[in-house]
Amino acid sequence: MRFPGRFACWILIALAAPVARICAAQAATRLPGELAWTIGYDPKTFDPAKVDDQESEMVRYLTAGVLLRFNRHTQEVTPSLAESWTVSQDGRTVTFRMRQGLKFSDGSPLTSKDAAWSVRRVLLPDTKAPVAEEFVSPAGVTVDTPDASTVVVRLPKRVVGIGKVFDEIAIEPAGRPSEGRVTAGPFVVSDYKRSQYVRLKRNSYFAARDGSGNQLPYSTGVRLDILENPEQQIRIFTRGGYDLIESLPPDYFELLKKTAPNTVRDLGAGLNTEQLWFNQAAASPLPAWEKSWFENRAFRVAVSQAIRRDDLARVAYLGHATPAYSFISPANTVWYDSKIIAPHTDVAAAKAGLKRAGFRLKGTQLVDAAGHPVKFSILTNAGNAQRNKMATLIQQDLGALGIEVTVVALDFPALIERMMHTQDYEACLLGLENVDPDPNAMMNIWLSSSENHQWNPSEKKPATTWEAEIDRAMNDQAVSANPVVRKRAVDHVQQIVADEQPFIYLVYPNVLLAVSTKLQGVKPAVLEPQVVWNVEELRTEVGR
Amino acid sequence: MRLKVPVLAVLIALVLAACAIVLAPGTSYALQDRDLPLAGSSVHHLAGTDALGRDRLTRVAAALLLSMAGSIAAAALTTAAAAGVGAMAAFAGEGVGWAAMLVCDVFLALPWLFLLMMVRSALPLNTSPGNSAEITFFVLAALGWPACARAVYRGALRLKSADWMLQARAGGLKRMQVIRHLLPNMLPLLVPQFLISVPAFVIAEANLGALGLGVGPPLPSWGGMLLELDNSAMLLQTRWVYFPVALLVAVLLLLEAVAVED
Repeated sequence: MRFPGRFACWILIALAAPVARICAAQAATRLPGELAWTIGYDPKTFDPAKVDDQESEMVRYLTAGVLLRFNRHTQEVTPSLAESWTVSQDGRTVTFRMRQGLKFSDGSPLTSKDAAWSVRRVLLPDTKAPVAEEFVSPAGVTVDTPDASTVVVRLPKRVVGIGKVFDEIAIEPAGRPSEGRVTAGPFVVSDYKRSQYVRLKRNSYFAARDGSGNQLPYSTGVRLDILENPEQQIRIFTRGGYDLIESLPPDYFELLKKTAPNTVRDLGAGLNTEQLWFNQAAASPLPAWEKSWFENRAFRVAVSQAIRRDDLARVAYLGHATPAYSFISPANTVWYDSKIIAPHTDVAAAKAGLKRAGFRLKGTQLVDAAGHPVKFSILTNAGNAQRNKMATLIQQDLGALGIEVTVVALDFPALIERMMHTQDYEACLLGLENVDPDPNAMMNIWLSSSENHQWNPSEKKPATTWEAEIDRAMNDQAVSANPVVRKRAVDHVQQIVADEQPFIYLVYPNVLLAVSTKLQGVKPAVLEPQVVWNVEELRTEVGR
Repeated sequence: MRLKVPVLAVLIALVLAACAIVLAPGTSYALQDRDLPLAGSSVHHLAGTDALGRDRLTRVAAALLLSMAGSIAAAALTTAAAAGVGAMAAFAGEGVGWAAMLVCDVFLALPWLFLLMMVRSALPLNTSPGNSAEITFFVLAALGWPACARAVYRGALRLKSADWMLQARAGGLKRMQVIRHLLPNMLPLLVPQFLISVPAFVIAEANLGALGLGVGPPLPSWGGMLLELDNSAMLLQTRWVYFPVALLVAVLLLLEAVAVED
């Protein structure tokens, strides 16, 4: 028998991808004292004012000098380039006192004029800086410099948590934006090879010093390899090529736990949530009877009651997740409301609720009052193993109610197109990344007028009374200076969401990290960037 | 031909075994045993379970049946289409033949994998898993006929100038009578094309499944199961994750052995 040539070709084609992948798993050369880890894709911009994606945010965090820094460990705002700062009684005037002798990485002096110019730049509509929205009314903000070391920012109205906003504004040389090449932060961008790496070098003029008076940062630089594949990441990490891996998938966490148990850390539930929601958009092309299910509170509650969240956490996340019932995680100790009453797993109650709402079983299939079989698709993004597993688990859970679910995994751009533009989908399973524990940062999700109000985006006026109530409560907490009033308003929103289930919360994934035993100065936090939030204090044993 | 008999027997035995496994009472390719994800071999799960606790043996058997049935149906469709186009191109005159082969060449030049991906992703989201399987194989058949048609065309041209054909025409046989005689004479051309197409469609469906565009869950597919091999964490949990790929390679070798000419 001769060897079938065509089959040999198939085998070669099938082997080509993994072989190419293995060959590609070579990190760039590591310089002495340099820290190294990965980012998933090329940063969309190096301009710190225009940052709108996670990887650009990472580069900004590592390079930007900021007036105030939000400490991810203590969750407090601390002075950075500013020596001190005050907020007036009415919350509308913020005054910064700059440190003396500040310099940019090129040796030029850094004064209040540079700080004012940088703040004004992000407020300009032409800059299209996402951070400008956090000033609520950026057009009405004025910035003055009474002297070389004082900056005064006047707001048209109080902005709760204004200090954290300045953590996102990089101070650049006035009139000379440099896309991270001239900074006042710990590092500057020194080299970028598309799809390969971003290399940062130490800013020798960085203002911070440690307790012994030593200049920070300790490391000579940072290399961020652009690499999405966790297989390669882990292979290079275990060879010592990377110092850390943030957001480790649970199965790889378990793998590393076996091979290098000293390197992995499970910090428990993070701030992020995974949730399912039904499309309630008025403009969606779904048939009216299908929309009526999704707008029906009893239907949403029944679906929520049928989902076995414990199984999602145990099977899809291998136990590295916590069942979720609210948009605020228990990790967010200040804002989490442990007293909310939310639908928990109860299939009998779900069936009874559906029956009361006019649904009935026809054989094994659930049908609505008009006899339409209840079937819908759950959309999620391809390539996310946990979400795909959760969707398949939910498919079986809802089968117990007689609901036929189709799981569809689309690539992210196709999913966003359906979700945000055509609104041609029935249900969607995605996660929400919360970088800020303050619920004020979630205004863009909860306000009914927001385009990120995913179950019914950009409502001209609230479609339901409970959405109007959420709008009112979120606006109340956004302008109140009283922490008790704010907490009460946020608790109220948590209870409304638990009652109405516009988002059916599934799990809070745990924060899973891998940190090299050679990396010194690590104080992991649940807030991003979880390991490198104190990058200036990190160093490898070799570089010490 | 001597080799083909035992090979066919093994293939048929595999299919019968798969039928027995899938139809055995109490088994389901979709049922999740959530207390036993990624379990090894046991009395209840001979080939262990997958990441969602589903019986791997049942899923592999179901994937084998689905893939074989779909690929055979798609190959039959492709061969029928190729026979029609190839014969028409050969017998309908030079201009038509040239145009038909031009269409074939255009089809062959298309990036078929991207086309398949486009078609699959354009399907309504609530297409049921069963329908998604049917559509996947139909699309494979719709895109797979041109190479086959080219081969049939060349063979049909040879038939057109064969002695028996000239005698038939000279003898005054009508067109329909000629076609009736043509079909049995084309069988030696069509059978190999059919046999070659079956493994090609098996592998194409596995490719689509690996891209997440094949048969929808919870229906099992080779591609979906091969995706498990992309995860070294899973490979260390149980060696049974290699079972689907081992069986796929074995089935492809058997199909290839059947298709290969003596």
